[in-house]
Amino acid sequence: MTTYVGSRVARVDSVDKVTGHAVYGVDVALPGMLHGAVVRSPHPHARVVSIDISAAEKAPGVKAIVTGKDFPQLFGSAIKDQPFLAIDRVRYVGDPVAAVAATSEREAQYARDLIKVVYEELPAVTDMRLALADDAPLVHPDMHTYQRGGHDIVPHTNVNTLYRYERGDVETAFAEADFVFEGEYSAHALSHVALEVHVAVAEYDEYSGDYTLWVSTDRPFFLRDDLAGGLGVDGSKVRLKVAQVGGSFGAKGVPIAEAIAAVLARKTNGRPVKVELTREECLIASQLRVPAIMKLKTGVTKDGLMIGRSADVLWDSGAYTAYTVGVAIRGSQTIVGPYRIPNLKILSRQVYTNKGITGSYRGYGTTQVTWACESQMDEIAHELGIDPVELRLQNGYEEGDSYLNGQIMHGVGLKETVEVARDEIGWGSIDRQPAPHLRRGKGIATMIKPTMTPSSSNVVINLGGDASVQVICAAPEIGSGQDTVLAQMAADAVGVPIEDVSVPATDTALTPYNGPVASSRTTYHMGSAIVSAGAEIKEKVLALAGDFFGVDSEYLEMRDGEILDEDGERLIGLKDLLAKFHGEGFSLTAGGRYSSAGSPLLKADPGEEWISSIFWMFCTQAAEIEVDTETGAIRVVKVAASADVGKAINPMTCEQQIEGGVVMGVSNGILEDFKIDNGRIENASLADYKVATIQDSPEIVPILVESIHNEAPYGAKGIGEPAAAATPPAIGNALFDAVGIRIPDLPITPEKVLDALAAKEAEDL
Amino acid sequence: MTIRIDTTINGDRMEIDVDPTLTLLEVLRENLFLSGTKEGCGVGECGTCVVLVDGEPVTSCLVLAGDGDGANLETVEGLAQNGELNEVQQAFVNTGAFQCGFCTPAMVLSATALLRDNPQPDEEEVKKALGGILCRCGAYPKILEAVIEVTGEGA
Amino acid sequence: MKRLKDFAYQEPTTLDEAVAALAEGGDTARVLAGGTDLIVDLKIERLLTTAVVNIKRIPGLSGIDDLGEASRIGALTKVTDIEASTLVAERHPALSQAASILASPPVRALATIGGNVGRASPASDLGPALIVLGASARIRGTGGDREELVEALYTGPGRTSLACSDIITDFIIPKPAAGCGSAHVKLGKRGSGTDIAMAGAAASVVIAEGVITEGKIALASLGPIPFRATNAEEVLRGRPAAEETIAAAAEAAAGDASPIGDIRASASYRTTLARVLTLRALRAAIASSREVVA
Repeated sequence: MTTYVGSRVARVDSVDKVTGHAVYGVDVALPGMLHGAVVRSPHPHARVVSIDISAAEKAPGVKAIVTGKDFPQLFGSAIKDQPFLAIDRVRYVGDPVAAVAATSEREAQYARDLIKVVYEELPAVTDMRLALADDAPLVHPDMHTYQRGGHDIVPHTNVNTLYRYERGDVETAFAEADFVFEGEYSAHALSHVALEVHVAVAEYDEYSGDYTLWVSTDRPFFLRDDLAGGLGVDGSKVRLKVAQVGGSFGAKGVPIAEAIAAVLARKTNGRPVKVELTREECLIASQLRVPAIMKLKTGVTKDGLMIGRSADVLWDSGAYTAYTVGVAIRGSQTIVGPYRIPNLKILSRQVYTNKGITGSYRGYGTTQVTWACESQMDEIAHELGIDPVELRLQNGYEEGDSYLNGQIMHGVGLKETVEVARDEIGWGSIDRQPAPHLRRGKGIATMIKPTMTPSSSNVVINLGGDASVQVICAAPEIGSGQDTVLAQMAADAVGVPIEDVSVPATDTALTPYNGPVASSRTTYHMGSAIVSAGAEIKEKVLALAGDFFGVDSEYLEMRDGEILDEDGERLIGLKDLLAKFHGEGFSLTAGGRYSSAGSPLLKADPGEEWISSIFWMFCTQAAEIEVDTETGAIRVVKVAASADVGKAINPMTCEQQIEGGVVMGVSNGILEDFKIDNGRIENASLADYKVATIQDSPEIVPILVESIHNEAPYGAKGIGEPAAAATPPAIGNALFDAVGIRIPDLPITPEKVLDALAAKEAEDL
Repeated sequence: MTIRIDTTINGDRMEIDVDPTLTLLEVLRENLFLSGTKEGCGVGECGTCVVLVDGEPVTSCLVLAGDGDGANLETVEGLAQNGELNEVQQAFVNTGAFQCGFCTPAMVLSATALLRDNPQPDEEEVKKALGGILCRCGAYPKILEAVIEVTGEGA
Repeated sequence: MKRLKDFAYQEPTTLDEAVAALAEGGDTARVLAGGTDLIVDLKIERLLTTAVVNIKRIPGLSGIDDLGEASRIGALTKVTDIEASTLVAERHPALSQAASILASPPVRALATIGGNVGRASPASDLGPALIVLGASARIRGTGGDREELVEALYTGPGRTSLACSDIITDFIIPKPAAGCGSAHVKLGKRGSGTDIAMAGAAASVVIAEGVITEGKIALASLGPIPFRATNAEEVLRGRPAAEETIAAAAEAAAGDASPIGDIRASASYRTTLARVLTLRALRAAIASSREVVA
């Protein structure tokens, strides 16, 4: 029985956020703090010939200037390919070259403009297809010498990731299929546009060699280790204190402002340095979604059974790999979709180009491949004359099905998500032409998403003498409500009122290791750790109560701060019980750890266990849109968005994730569009990189499906990441329903729609 | 160079000496430590820096300090009184009308100003009034629900 | 975040002081009105300045007045005040509509009509509306006062015929005759408003006994400046206020347009929008001719 789990508890960060008291990374100000500014490359690819800092050094307020020569180390996740500041060459427009610290931001920016860099331009490759050519300029000629993990690269080319997967015999399946569908789809670069810009404050203690950083991040330990690796020190020498995070969506995990702040801090005699990027810098030089070109081929029988699929996916990492190697590998597996297809062949290649860095973006590759997979599903359904909903139900996963690697899947609510979305949107009926120039249509798309596996979470729960509970863990609140759901689970696990539970801010020197707040893993993983630590606290409290009352603690229970006897009668309040120990002081702690490593649930075919996921997420979205046939403009009227969340710990925060995912999906699908010329982003402002406003937000009906996961805390899985992926294909499929056209290359802009309508008209004549 | 401005901020009248090349946003955040007002772009395109000047929501990143002279300024810090949230803040809490919270001060202030002028806005009026503030978390449906809740028209 | 570079700052309290300060400041002195363009241009270093002359301490430069045969709008009148004005809504619907979709509400609450015209953006929302309404600007300069049609002020993208030391003081919009109607429409990438125009169109018509005796069409983001679509206007003259006429005029407007392709739209898409938006503006202007308070 739970008191808080499953309820619409108000978020624990509510008051801080509606009153403006919440302190974000950008709000951190320390005594003596200096401000940084960064010199960035104007060229997509160039050799740095010389850097003249003499004028800048003399500028007012300047305390330190650093260049790549000061820090020749490389950092990175799967491949250590990125310098803190350009060492000898720049690889994209915006690549940091030098940095200044001064007593004010204005002085720093003034001095920055006095630094003279001489470049010798090199041939650039800014198109991922061209990057594959034999004679393509190499972005990293020394790639084969870099430290890297176990994945494959193709030395002396731009291919920084090569991955192949095969199962069954796809060629025979295509030969036996009644129909073979082939298509090429592309997903474009997107910016995360967390409203809080990238920012870090760094301090360096030259006596101890310790770095302390105040940061805004979603993965403190990954970031710490990336930084420490690049700085050439142990992880324990870098301490990260995490403030409130003003949005992340996957952006705030790799060193961006952090790297520059840390190197500047080395040269300021102990004065802290704040580096806060401008919005323009965030758009050109933080991270982007990895663009992908996806060739997809699917063999089906005439009655709609999918029997084979091959995929050739090309990903564009930009100048450095950051977290993209995993995107290219994990993402390409997901192009199979949530469908039982026995014969598969996947080729995934990722190339370097002289463009901005890309990285993880809400869904870790899922948003790209879902576009291809679900667009093609719709084409198959229409060609075969099968209802798109039925085609998905026919081929979709069910509880106990094997994933492509043989893992038996558990907690599979896919079909229910499809059915409830279908019903909510009113599938099959529509007011087709509400005005002479308007046409309406409906479309559906679904998706599957794994979570990072294996990974671990650790927590320490402390019960204080005043009956307050601190949940000490490194799971920063990035906006998705995890402080609230962790507090709810802790309150129930320990048996105290939620008002007495707090989740202190992350500090890598104090909070135990946690994987990232990413991959929709926090509720499940940290929740599991909390349930175990909370149970231990409760057991210890009940033992104290048992001693006090002279009863066997087995017959006692604690709920909502009250000690109850076996009949559920109140014996004493927790506060009163603990008051008995005040004379000697009181604090009771328990540690909890959860790791998915070694879970029997991950069992799969030999050699393919690594593809297993500790849980699987499913979301379906059905959209109704309205097309203006004179301008090509699309208005998304309504989206019915269902998600299989396992168990909703807090239905309200689940709805927030779904609604937010749909808004982001609408924005990604029809509004956001970088104009890039020879690697240079020409619309690096929020005036011209369009993010959806409340006026673009459709009616959204979030629907929670609960396919309880037996291994999960209270049955909960995850929800944050999958929520945005199905929206663009649902819109694209609705566009076909409305006016009979398809736009294979995202985004679906009015111009493309109008061109396609004109082409269709010409064809129909 | 500094200029003296005579201004009222959240009900407190004050005379302050400021650098006239600073924006009102910079004065609020850095000179007065009112960091509840956020900066998301610095060029009037995201709306997170909205404060009320004489009751009207404006992007404070586009206002020079000198224009604060004689103005009645309200920031998010001034909305709750004696530990009580105002009705818009309370509705945001009840409905969960925020996620990361970075746009929340601007949203709450703009909605408060709208409801003062027009206590019964319909959904389109709410959307229009809040159309200049980006929320990348996409809290829009619940923000709309919160503002409508204050009008008493909610379900 | 980006900081402004240093500059001298002045707050004159009379027009003459302001004109003198601007004359002294020369090429790099800038008038600060609403600031919604100036501060952006300075931050992104599209403009440089050594001296900013804030004219908001000068009395009498804002407000909307009924002068009988014309309406007067002070140059410092905020776009939100124009949007909220019943006088403007009843007499000059095109201007009211343009004011209601310019940028976003917290920007409209700062932006002024004088600043919008003075900035001379090819994508101006108020510009086309003022042009079709036959508005003129009153200007104070070193040589005294003068009055010029708004359409004559624009000389190029971001450029006007105004001298560095000229200050627009107010706008005069003739009161519409009986049977007059006007409208403004635009399309941004966000269909929803809160956006920069990929293209915009304003139209005004005078209709007598079902015939258009005079029609004006002005376009934005379809050439280097907000401008009149004269061939399209020619099509309207003396023809019945019917769908056939406006379709022909819209076709002609597409021909009058000379758009460029840029980050917001291609030239060919803009040409399409010239036709569609002209059509929609004319339809709305004709519909409003029955409602405009003459």
